[in-house]
Amino acid sequence: MSWRDKLGRLDTRYTPYLIIAPFFVVFGIFGLYPLLFTAWVSLHEWQLIDGDQGFTGLDNYAELLSDKNFWNALGNTVSLFLLSTVPQLFAALGLAALLDRGLRGRAFWRAGVLLPNVISVAAVALVFAQLFGRDFGIVNALLGFIGVDPVDWHAETWASHLAISSMVMWRWTGYNALIYLAAMQSVPKDMYESAMLDGASRWRVFWSITVPSIRPTILFTVIVSTIGGMQLFVEPQLFDPGGTATGTGGDDRQFQTLVMYLYEKGFRLFDAGYSSAIAWVLFLLILVVAVVNFTVARRIASKG
Amino acid sequence: MSRTLVGRTTAITAVALAATLVAACGGGSDAGDGKVKLSIGVFSDFGYANLIKEYQASHPDIEIEQRTVKMEQHHTQLATQLAGGRGAADIVAIEEGNITQFRQSKDKFVNLADYGAKDLESQWAAWKWNQGATDGGNFVLGLGTDMGSLALCYRRDLFEAAGLPADRESVGKLWPTWEKYLEVADTFSQKTPGKKFVDTAQNVYKAILDQTEEGYFAKADDSFIGDKNDKVKQAFTLAATLGERKQTGALAPFSQDWNVALKQASFATTTCPAWALALIKAGAGDEAAGKWDVAAAPGGGGNWGGSFLAVPKQGKHPKEAYELAKWLTAPEQQKRIFKETGNLPSEPAAYKDPEVTATTNEYFNKAPVGQIFGTSAESLKPTYRGTKDSKVAPVFGNALSRVETGKQSTAEAFAQALQEARDAVK
Repeated sequence: MSWRDKLGRLDTRYTPYLIIAPFFVVFGIFGLYPLLFTAWVSLHEWQLIDGDQGFTGLDNYAELLSDKNFWNALGNTVSLFLLSTVPQLFAALGLAALLDRGLRGRAFWRAGVLLPNVISVAAVALVFAQLFGRDFGIVNALLGFIGVDPVDWHAETWASHLAISSMVMWRWTGYNALIYLAAMQSVPKDMYESAMLDGASRWRVFWSITVPSIRPTILFTVIVSTIGGMQLFVEPQLFDPGGTATGTGGDDRQFQTLVMYLYEKGFRLFDAGYSSAIAWVLFLLILVVAVVNFTVARRIASKG
Repeated sequence: MSRTLVGRTTAITAVALAATLVAACGGGSDAGDGKVKLSIGVFSDFGYANLIKEYQASHPDIEIEQRTVKMEQHHTQLATQLAGGRGAADIVAIEEGNITQFRQSKDKFVNLADYGAKDLESQWAAWKWNQGATDGGNFVLGLGTDMGSLALCYRRDLFEAAGLPADRESVGKLWPTWEKYLEVADTFSQKTPGKKFVDTAQNVYKAILDQTEEGYFAKADDSFIGDKNDKVKQAFTLAATLGERKQTGALAPFSQDWNVALKQASFATTTCPAWALALIKAGAGDEAAGKWDVAAAPGGGGNWGGSFLAVPKQGKHPKEAYELAKWLTAPEQQKRIFKETGNLPSEPAAYKDPEVTATTNEYFNKAPVGQIFGTSAESLKPTYRGTKDSKVAPVFGNALSRVETGKQSTAEAFAQALQEARDAVK
């Protein structure tokens, strides 16, 4: 073998690694290193400005498990996640099915559903906080027309969760719909044709052919939405009338999510050690929920 | 596959890696034009825009950049910048409620005494100077800017509608004490049931508490006394009573809703330290010009807010930064800021100056704000702020909000707040 052939073989074998290396280097610097450093910090009493105040082992974690504010935040996060993600994915699926049909001005409608996602989340949150204002908000004004008493959207637990979920849904439904649409377009058309010939209804075709065919895509959106839902932060934080000054997610922590609690501990109370412990517990929780999601979603989808 | 391709991929990879590394450890440096670049980090309007231009004109070798962010973000950002050892402005503003927290990390700041700050001490009201200093006065952390001498703003038209006197002298006499203030609230609510008497119980509470010598922490040893100090309970009960009687707008102070409510004229009074006049004007808008007025606050003067300029150690030009901070906080400049923004100077030479005391505010029905706030400043006794003050205060604010929204009784809310406060200072 000439050296040129040898080099060629080396090239085919190692060049792919070289090409993907930049991602892993960047991930190492901005992903892995902070992750490990956070774990290190979480084992210390660590003041945000002054740094290390001494090794305390798992004390932060032990304290976290008996901290009722942590459990409250966890409950809120799960509630907000379910309230926003489940209806949102169903809505996206329906929307995608509609967009998949021969519409006039197809490109316009398809681009249109993505618009909410393009707008800055801070702007969205500010507008929604206005819409859901207690005294002068449009939502309460509309409710007034049909004889419903004004709702204190910021103060009541369920009301605040609904308002925040509506924000999340508004932003992400179109985005997920486009992902579903892309997947639906690759479903072979002859399957639909034979189903039609057999006399299946549109509803039946949708659940028996479309949905099972885009199974991997649904799985993907479920996992991505889970990760996003567990890290919900900007929408509730900006919905809080007290803003970051209190950062408690309402006067009784009624909509404080885990990341908001992390932020409160770390950046308002300067307790970086405790905050890091929350971050790591959150990381593990996301991992667990994602795995559960993955198994459940795959099982459900394979039944079809 | 050809050799050139091998070479090319390797080269691309190398470039990508190098770019990553550069991005990871890049850093700024002064421009090549030999000018000293200073940055100053503030929140809300410190009134520095024109002063900075002037300073640059008289100091051609200095270039100043002002960075403004919202108050809460400003202090959070500063904390992370100090922790990270980079990114902080050369001069940073620190609010009174936050300075105790930063005082604990004084090794991250320049001791201004090293540059001769101690010679300036006599410029400030003694309490203001002491808030910015530590180590028995040997470490000067910050130079005082404004202070928040207290008054009460009210809407003339709503007072008239309720059959109350509307001129500021008589209004001030309506409420020599906070108990009387509550009585006025009752009269007001009976006559004008559609309007709220005050924006939020939280501000009333803070105003009353700021008139006492000690709040949540003991002056002597910085220990938590919120559960023993009767003044805390009294202030809380009084403010909560307004909330229980639905005489407050239940608004988060200075929030978006607060601005809307100002615009809709839905409440009649609000506590107003000097710096709040600008916020009220911005919120209520031009159509409310002349409708708001300023009267003396119940219970005499109080202290609310006010900031300091400090110099983080990580800056490259501490001496120049100190010189600029010294100039900006000098009485001459403070007087001009007062005229421009209404922020009350914390130096007697400035707030006693005839130019300042003669100042009236056109928007607030030509109220003699210079005289009102100047007088209030004279009788001002600052509240002692504990090191953990900023951890405890929001807990009580939330508790009042729960009373206002009808979730809890005053007693329940106070008990929960005390428990949360104890947890916070643990």
